[in-house]
Amino acid sequence: MTMTESPQKHKILVVDDEPDLEPLMLQRMRRYIRTGTYEFVFAHDGVEALEALDADESIDMVLSDINMPKMDGLTLLERIPDVAPDIRAVIISAYGDMKNIRIAMNRGAFDFVTKPVDFDDLKFTIDRTLQHIREWKEALSARDKLVVLQNELNVASMMQQSILPNKFARNDNYKLFGTMQPARNVGGDFFDVIGLSDNRVGLAIADVSGKGVPAALFMMSSRTLLKGAAMRADGPGEALTEVNDVLNEDNDACMFVTMIYAVYDPTTGVLTYADGGHDPPLVIHADGTSTQLPVTDGLALGVLPGFDFLQQSYELAPGETVVLYTDGVTEAINAEEEQLGLARLREAFEADPPGDAEDAGHRVIDLVNDFAGDVPQFDDTTCLVLRREN
Amino acid sequence: MNISTDRQGGALIAMAEGRVDGANALEFHEALEAAISPDDTGMVLDFEGISYISSAGLRVVLLVAKTLQKQNAKMAVCSLSDSIREIFEISGFDKIIPVHGSRADALAGVGG
Repeated sequence: MTMTESPQKHKILVVDDEPDLEPLMLQRMRRYIRTGTYEFVFAHDGVEALEALDADESIDMVLSDINMPKMDGLTLLERIPDVAPDIRAVIISAYGDMKNIRIAMNRGAFDFVTKPVDFDDLKFTIDRTLQHIREWKEALSARDKLVVLQNELNVASMMQQSILPNKFARNDNYKLFGTMQPARNVGGDFFDVIGLSDNRVGLAIADVSGKGVPAALFMMSSRTLLKGAAMRADGPGEALTEVNDVLNEDNDACMFVTMIYAVYDPTTGVLTYADGGHDPPLVIHADGTSTQLPVTDGLALGVLPGFDFLQQSYELAPGETVVLYTDGVTEAINAEEEQLGLARLREAFEADPPGDAEDAGHRVIDLVNDFAGDVPQFDDTTCLVLRREN
Repeated sequence: MNISTDRQGGALIAMAEGRVDGANALEFHEALEAAISPDDTGMVLDFEGISYISSAGLRVVLLVAKTLQKQNAKMAVCSLSDSIREIFEISGFDKIIPVHGSRADALAGVGG
């Protein structure tokens, strides 16, 4: 029985103290019972009905008389939600008994039929009720799936937030600041600050393809690989070459990450950087004008094994600021579906040069938020700022 | 997401409309994979109607290129908007998947 039970089969609990109803129901509904559409179970008062509902979770609906000993149908209606909240009940009332019909409907009955029972009408009413129950259960299951998905996204979001540095070492020669504003559906941006030998510092900003849990996992491994490679490698180009080769092993999913990895040497003010297919960093000069750092023939990481990443250098003048950012900044969308674009980012600093690294970072985020207004953004907005102090 | 297809020589030509992002990347991927026949010797993805592609969409392009590579078929893209061309250049994807101005050039590139 359990093996081939048809999903269309519905179990209906009939509650009536009159002994005639049971044989009559079985007789008139025999066709649907035989085809397995309905299965009937019987109770003779409200108390028995509640016991049956409590014991048997497979009951889909209740068909109940009103006047019964021990517990009447109207009281039963009030009690059903306690034992079986997803059950719907149909009431059988005396013809013209509007008072009790009103009470029953107010107590949550789904529908009613009147005596003497017209079995064609009853069949129609049962089917309508069952249809409603099916839709209700589908809606509940969809909601449950959404909750699971939301929980997964929360995990991804927590992973993303937990790996970001939130304290930036203070140094007389330079200042750092980084911030990430997550998109609603959890993207895959991250940044990192890695302490290296001889007071040098490694700076990374990255954007993983896709969103959600897969992006968060890929982000975690990219970040861990980079940390290791950064310590060993001679320079940023070699570090990216190593990370890329490892990411390409077993990457059938074709996930990839774009990244800028740079090493700053505070004793010389030289920033050496390599491009992993990422937006070029922006240097803001002391007067507010800006220049994109030239990038070296970059490629997203995880795409092509054996690729040789090159590196270039730029010497920061005192008072110059380097902004590393992700495309969530320049591709932010406003209500007119325009993109923010690099030109607006540069203009913002031209009018008013940043006071320090933190100011520059906040201004990037503020610029995006002011531009986007209420429009939900599809991508994380992330920047990491380095400023050489005077 | 609807894609339309055409064939010329041994090459499949696929076109799509609108944005390709995280919301429809899976659908885009399934539609493209379904369109590829084992006999195709090349494929051109025509970006004429595509206004935006996110990293999730770029990943689909890579996955499709991988499928084609398994059957020794070449892939190329054509008719990219300026901003999409820039995305291909910045990410370096143009090193892996040839970018052409016109469909005719792209077809010639994949031997269609």
